[in-house]
Amino acid sequence: MKKKEFIVITILLVISLGGIALYYIINATNQPLYVRVTSQGEVVTILPLSEDHTETFYTPSGGYNTLTISNGKAKMTDADCPDKICVKTYPISSPGETIVCLPHKLVVEVVTGNP
Amino acid sequence: MNSKAYRLVILSLYVSMALILSYVESLIPLPLPIPGAKIGLPNIITLVSLLTLGWPLTLLVVVARVLLSGFLFGGGFSIVYSLGGGLLSLFVMALILHFTKDGFSLILTSIFGAISHNLGQVIVASIVVQTSSLMLYFLILMFLAIPTGLFIGITARELMRLLDKTTIFKRLNS
Repeated sequence: MKKKEFIVITILLVISLGGIALYYIINATNQPLYVRVTSQGEVVTILPLSEDHTETFYTPSGGYNTLTISNGKAKMTDADCPDKICVKTYPISSPGETIVCLPHKLVVEVVTGNP
Repeated sequence: MNSKAYRLVILSLYVSMALILSYVESLIPLPLPIPGAKIGLPNIITLVSLLTLGWPLTLLVVVARVLLSGFLFGGGFSIVYSLGGGLLSLFVMALILHFTKDGFSLILTSIFGAISHNLGQVIVASIVVQTSSLMLYFLILMFLAIPTGLFIGITARELMRLLDKTTIFKRLNS
């Protein structure tokens, strides 16, 4: 590998890792965290991340997504979308983290205080 | 065989190879809980095609591959995202190759192509679900695109080195 390539790759690594770190630092907070569920661009519900809870959301077309909050982490536990990408997404617990179900246009995100 | 027919043969070979690589890729899921993270195997063909056929014909290769693999292996839904990523990626890689001429680096072109593929997909996804909170997701994908883009770039470079020893492309530009 040439020197030029090595330098550019290092810069890109620093940008991406630095960006991720910066994102977590900026969004770090001691305020209570909430989980905001958005469907078709509209907020459906806001749930506290501190309470264990399981809820199933239905889309207008009849599909469903089951969201489970436990131990301060939110995870999509079940869905009937074709790709199941939302179910495979890691559990979210920090502000700004998201779980997206593209076929159902459902977004689950962690937000801070006073929703 | 005249050069026009010869070009058509090469073009269809690229499409079929890219299609097979899409399929192979769908068989090896990355053990990561990050949705949308892929190795990007079809990009090997996109790179080789860009270098040998130029961007207008490569545009055909990319569109044909995305449509065919979308209908064959994915839901109709995945086509929109693949197209968003594939086209932005092709645009960026073609620009890099155009402006760097002989001093280009296939590895860097591949990495920037991988990153812009993710960017295209995230932009389309943001529009579809009407959210602006996918920035963190993009940064994670960008980080993952660096090793995969590096791998694809090295593979494409070695492939080009081998193909240049053959006479396959000699007749292409005659």
